Amino acid sequence: MGLNLIDQQIKNKKRIRLMTHLVIGFPSLDFTIKLAKLMAKNGADFIELQIPFSDPLADGPTIMKACEESLLNGTKVKDAFKIMKLLSSQVSIPLLFMAYYNTVFKYGVKKFCQDAKLCGASGLIVPDMPVDEENEEHLISNCRKFRLCNIQVISPVSTNDRLQKNAKVASGFVYATAHQGITGAKNQLESSLEAYLKKVKKYFSVPIAVGFGISQKEHLEKLAPLSDIAVIGSAVINVINLSNKDNIEEDVKNFINNLKIC
Amino acid sequence: MLIPSLEELEKIYNNAKKDPSFKKEFNFLLKTFAGRPTPLTFAKNLSEKLGAARIYLKNEGLNHTGAHKITHCIGQAILAKRMGKKRLIAETGAGQHGLATATVAAKFGFSCTIFMGEIDIARQRPNVFLMEQLGATVIPVTFGNKTLKDAVNAAIKYWIENVKDTHYLLGSVVGPHPYPVMNCDFQSVVGKEIKLQLRKFEGKPPDYVIACVGGGSNAMGAFSAFLKDDVRLIGVEAGGKGNQVGENAIRFPFGSVGVVEGYKSYFLQNSDGNLQKTHSISAGLDYPGIGPQLSLLHDTKRVEFVNVKDKEVLSATRLLAQTEGIIPALESAHAVAFGIKLALKLPKEKIIVINLSGRGDKDIFILAKAFKDKKFMSFLKEYLKDV
Ligand SMILES: Cc1ncc(COP(=O)(O)O)c(C=O)c1O
Repeated sequence: MGLNLIDQQIKNKKRIRLMTHLVIGFPSLDFTIKLAKLMAKNGADFIELQIPFSDPLADGPTIMKACEESLLNGTKVKDAFKIMKLLSSQVSIPLLFMAYYNTVFKYGVKKFCQDAKLCGASGLIVPDMPVDEENEEHLISNCRKFRLCNIQVISPVSTNDRLQKNAKVASGFVYATAHQGITGAKNQLESSLEAYLKKVKKYFSVPIAVGFGISQKEHLEKLAPLSDIAVIGSAVINVINLSNKDNIEEDVKNFINNLKIC
Repeated sequence: MLIPSLEELEKIYNNAKKDPSFKKEFNFLLKTFAGRPTPLTFAKNLSEKLGAARIYLKNEGLNHTGAHKITHCIGQAILAKRMGKKRLIAETGAGQHGLATATVAAKFGFSCTIFMGEIDIARQRPNVFLMEQLGATVIPVTFGNKTLKDAVNAAIKYWIENVKDTHYLLGSVVGPHPYPVMNCDFQSVVGKEIKLQLRKFEGKPPDYVIACVGGGSNAMGAFSAFLKDDVRLIGVEAGGKGNQVGENAIRFPFGSVGVVEGYKSYFLQNSDGNLQKTHSISAGLDYPGIGPQLSLLHDTKRVEFVNVKDKEVLSATRLLAQTEGIIPALESAHAVAFGIKLALKLPKEKIIVINLSGRGDKDIFILAKAFKDKKFMSFLKEYLKDV
C-alpha cells in the first residue's frame, strides 16, 4: 500500500504537495500525535516522522536540539513504532519514517522494515545510507520486500554518476536538498536551484521533493513549477519553539495554513 | 552528501601513493619540520626498578607540536594543496590534533577552523591558546556530550556546507573511507621506525607493542609494521572512573557494532543505537567509537584490548617522569600504566615497546589539580591578580 498511497497523493496534481516534518517525542509524544493529526487535517500531504538520534549528522541546530530534547524525554525507538501505528490508523495521508542508519541497523534492517510496514509507514528516509553500501546493508532490498518506499536523498553536489545510481533504485519520490548543507530554515532559496532541479528531473522518473531550508510561502511558490513536493522541517520546529505550550497547536495550524498555495 | 568529496579525496590520495614526488615531499617535511625519526629510548631505570621485562619507549612526544598527530596532518595538508583547497578544518579532543592541524595550516598557507567540545576547551586550554596563536579559529561545540564525538559531528556538518574550498583534516583512523586507510598509511612510519631502531638495540623484534587507543591512529601506526610478526599487540583503552555507562570509554567489551559518523565499527551505544556518554581523564581517549581496522583486528584476535583507570594513569605519569625524565601525555600514560603492569608479570628477557604518543606539557593544569599541587594553585591565583 505504501507505494500506491504515495503515488496517489501526487497524481491529480493541482498544487505543489506539502510534506511536513516532526521529531518524534518533541516536544512530547503527546504533541507528536496531536500535531501530526492537525497537520493532516490542515493540508499536509505527507508527514515525515523523524526518529530522534544522538548524532544526527545531516541536521542543523534546530532539529538537532529537538532530537536531544526528545531523547532526554526518554523517547525510544519502540515509541516511534507505536506512534506510527496509532497515527496511520487515524490519518489518511502517507507517513514516512526519517531515521539515521544506526537506528535502523541496531534494530535490525529487516525487522525495522517489516515493523515499519506493519505499523503503516509508507516509506523510509535514511539520509546517511549511500546506495554504494546496498550489497553490505540490504536496506533497499528490504524496503522492496516489505513494499516501503526507499526515499533517496540527493544534493546539489551529487555528480551525474551518482544521480544515475540513485535514480536506478529510487521509489516513491526523490528527496533533493535545496542546498548543499544541513537542515535549517533559511530566508532565501539559492539562485542555482532551478538549474539543479531541472537536471534532477532529467535523471529521475519519480516525483521530486525539495527540502532543507524551506520555510515560507514564497519558497513554495518558487518551487511549484520545479518540483512536486515541498518539505517543511525546521521551520515548524521553530514555530513550536517560539510558542507557549498552550498555543503550539494553534500556531502550527496557522503556520501551515499560511503556507498553502493554490 | 559528502560522497563526492570523499571520492575526490580518495582519488587524489591514490594518485599520491603512486607519485614519488609526494613521498619525497612528505618524507622531507617529516624530517625537517616534524622532527622524524623520533627516538626509541631504552627505559633503563624503569625496567630496573620494576626488575622485570625490558621496556622501550617510542617517544612520539618529541614530534613538533608534541604528538604523533603532526604526521598525518602533513600528509593530508599536501593532499589538500593538491586538491586546491583553501581551508583546513579539524575536530580535536586533547587539542593535539587541532594544534598539529593549525600548525600545518600556517606552514602551508591555509586558513584554519578547529572544532572542539566545550568541555575539552575547558580542560585543554593551553592547546586552545596555541592554536589561536597559530592563526586558527577555535569553535566551541556546545551540543551533545561537548567532547570529541560532538566535535567530529560539528566538523562534518561544517564540511557538508563548505565542501568546495575546504578539506576536512580528520585526525584519527576513524570516519568514512578513505580516512582510516589514509591516516594509517601516514602513521605507519612509526612502526617502521620502531622496527629499525629496536633492531639496533636488541637485534630482534619486540615481544609486545603497547599503545593507547582513542580513535586508534597512534596504535595503528605502531602496530602496522608488526601485524605479520610474532609480536603481541595491545591496545589500551580509557578505563576512566569505573565500569558503569558514562564512566569510561571501553569499547571492548562494552561496545557493539554500529554505523555512525560515516563508518561501521564498534561504538558505545544503547539498545536504540544512540551513542552513550563517555569519560576519561584524557580528552583524546574520551570517544565512543574506534577505528574500523582496529575493530577487525579485535575480531580476528590479532590485537588484544585492555584498559586502565584514571588513577593508574596518574601514578604511571609520575613514575615515568621520575624514573625516565619523560612526562607523557595523559593519553599515552594509559599505555605506560598497562606496560608497567605487564612488565611485572614477565621474565627479564622479554621486550616491551610502549608507544608514547605525546608529551604531557598540555596536561599541566589537569596534573596540578589531580596531584593537588598547592603551589601551582597559589601561582594561578597570584597570576590572575596580576592580570
Ligand atoms: C597524545 C595523544 N595520544 C593519543 C590520542 C588518541 O588518538 P589516537 O587513538 O587516534 O591515537 C590523542 C588524541 O588527541 C593524543 O593527543
